[in-house]
Amino acid sequence: MAYDEIFQTIEMLQNEHLDVRAVNMGIDLFDCSDRSIDRACSLVREKVLRLASPLVSACETISRRYGIPIVNKRVSVSPIADVMAGHGVEELIRVARTMDEAAREAGIDIIGGYTALAQKGMTVSDRALIESLPEVLATTSGVCASVNAASTKAGINVEALLLMGRIWLEAASRTADADGFGCCKLSVFANIPEDNPFMAGSYKGTGEPETVINIGVSGPGVVKRAIEKLRERTPDCTLGDIAEQIKSTAFRVTRCGELIGREVAKALGAEFGIVDLSLAPTPAVGDSVGEIFEAMGIPKVGGPGTTAALAMLNDAVKKGGAFASSSVGGLSGAFIPVAEDSALAKAVENGYLTLEKLEAMTSVCSVGLDMIVLPGDTSAETLTAIAMDELAIGVINRKTTSVRMIPVPGKKAGDRAVFGGLFGESPILAVQDHTSDAFVRMGGRIPAPLTSLNN
Amino acid sequence: MKEYIVTVMARDRVGIVRDVSTALADIGGNVTHVSQTVMRCYFTLIMSVQLPDERAEHEIRQAIERKGEIGELVVNVRPFVEKTESEDTPCERFVLTLRGTDRPGIISLATNYLADRGINIDDFFAYILDGRFVMLVKVSIPLGTDADEVRTELEKLGREQELIVHLQHENIFRATSDVRPVVEL
Repeated sequence: MAYDEIFQTIEMLQNEHLDVRAVNMGIDLFDCSDRSIDRACSLVREKVLRLASPLVSACETISRRYGIPIVNKRVSVSPIADVMAGHGVEELIRVARTMDEAAREAGIDIIGGYTALAQKGMTVSDRALIESLPEVLATTSGVCASVNAASTKAGINVEALLLMGRIWLEAASRTADADGFGCCKLSVFANIPEDNPFMAGSYKGTGEPETVINIGVSGPGVVKRAIEKLRERTPDCTLGDIAEQIKSTAFRVTRCGELIGREVAKALGAEFGIVDLSLAPTPAVGDSVGEIFEAMGIPKVGGPGTTAALAMLNDAVKKGGAFASSSVGGLSGAFIPVAEDSALAKAVENGYLTLEKLEAMTSVCSVGLDMIVLPGDTSAETLTAIAMDELAIGVINRKTTSVRMIPVPGKKAGDRAVFGGLFGESPILAVQDHTSDAFVRMGGRIPAPLTSLNN
Repeated sequence: MKEYIVTVMARDRVGIVRDVSTALADIGGNVTHVSQTVMRCYFTLIMSVQLPDERAEHEIRQAIERKGEIGELVVNVRPFVEKTESEDTPCERFVLTLRGTDRPGIISLATNYLADRGINIDDFFAYILDGRFVMLVKVSIPLGTDADEVRTELEKLGREQELIVHLQHENIFRATSDVRPVVEL
């Protein structure tokens, strides 16, 4: 072990605030299915409590041992619409409340997997789950929901997205006093990953083990500091040098994540799943993807060059991470959740970052239009159309994209929405409303794309 | 065969290891472990060597000394004693780093703390760079000792003395510096 490597690692741990962003325990709930909703809820409660209760203390023990903070400890479960097939809206709401209570009792703040997989069509329970979302998002605190409404193999289920257009407005309206906060806990996907540890879109895929630990590695602060230090040390460095710096930083960060993840999995008797390389920002200064652009020489995030910088960042992180570990998965890209990233929110405020630019940026990163805040009077059809645009990027490019958007009741473009905590705050983006209602209302399904002739 | 621990200290020059190893080979010795370093042009060597039963300690020392100029090689020979059960406490390996303005007493301060907590030093490396003292110590913390408490106390001690002190589990450095899969580390 070379001494300079030891000090580089110390620097990363101490001064660049390396942490493990998320430890997510995936729990299979298919053995909790029952025609009796009382019995199903009781089984869900028992299983979540039994498996998730030791999660927090195991994470704390390992965090103390290694001196590396584990920021979020969360649980995701099998897609509830499938687990609870045959049940209606009222029954699904009871399941959501059971999940919420069980998670809280286990010391977990967020539980994901209130999910419908509806990329090609909706079952009765998929539709019921979607219909239940406004109530669930308004009356539970920790339940996160997701809907997979598109995939490269199935195309885009516009019927589901039309339904979602209304649901977004209802969910926002039910939480109007909190600026439509309910929508912060709802992601709609194309090509949803089965092993993503990050909320709101985390669920435990059906191809995953019985109990699995997935890890989200450190936030963007480490990468930002590494770029800043390189530019201080080597003022004439090229973009290629910056890419190399990001790559080697991603290697180290991923290795720490895998080490911690494997220890947590071992301590809990669960299988280790994956390390998700995503750079996930928080509203804290110094923990922002937007600040990485600034460190790379783009002071006005959203200006020309932003998409290229993001593409390079995303690719370099993946290269470093893929070399570090064979267990890389989930979303593994840079997130640009506007409200959760103070530099991105500021760029919106200053008018550099628009909805259209954000959409362009999502074509080269994960996870899509994330935490974007829209005027409260945006129509359901326009919300559907925005989602269709975003999911089309994922479907055609064979990647994951998603939308997590909040139409803020009673507020218009330029006003400010405040969610607090990790959800942050953001000015409201301007939207061209009612421009494509006729297109959207035709509904149906956009067919799966050709996957050859790739230009 | 009997086992000995042999140390050699000298001002550095080319060929000391050759001279020492040849001297030992000439008297029937078999070297099994070696650790050698050069610091500021001074050479130190510690080795474990098996020798025929009839060889006395002073013979071994003289055989090595004769390979150098008179008084050049400072040689010590001790019979090897196996670790006792009480010395073999299960431990976890950590790396302690310390940085700060150089002054007398820094090592004493840190090592007094470690000794008082029953923490053994396995490997120690320190130097002065641009007037700053840098210390890097591999330590073994007995299982059952709360490493986070040790870390907090060392950091506090460091702050009081205007020193930057960090304690980190060795696995972190192995994970971040070694290209082998994490499961093989």
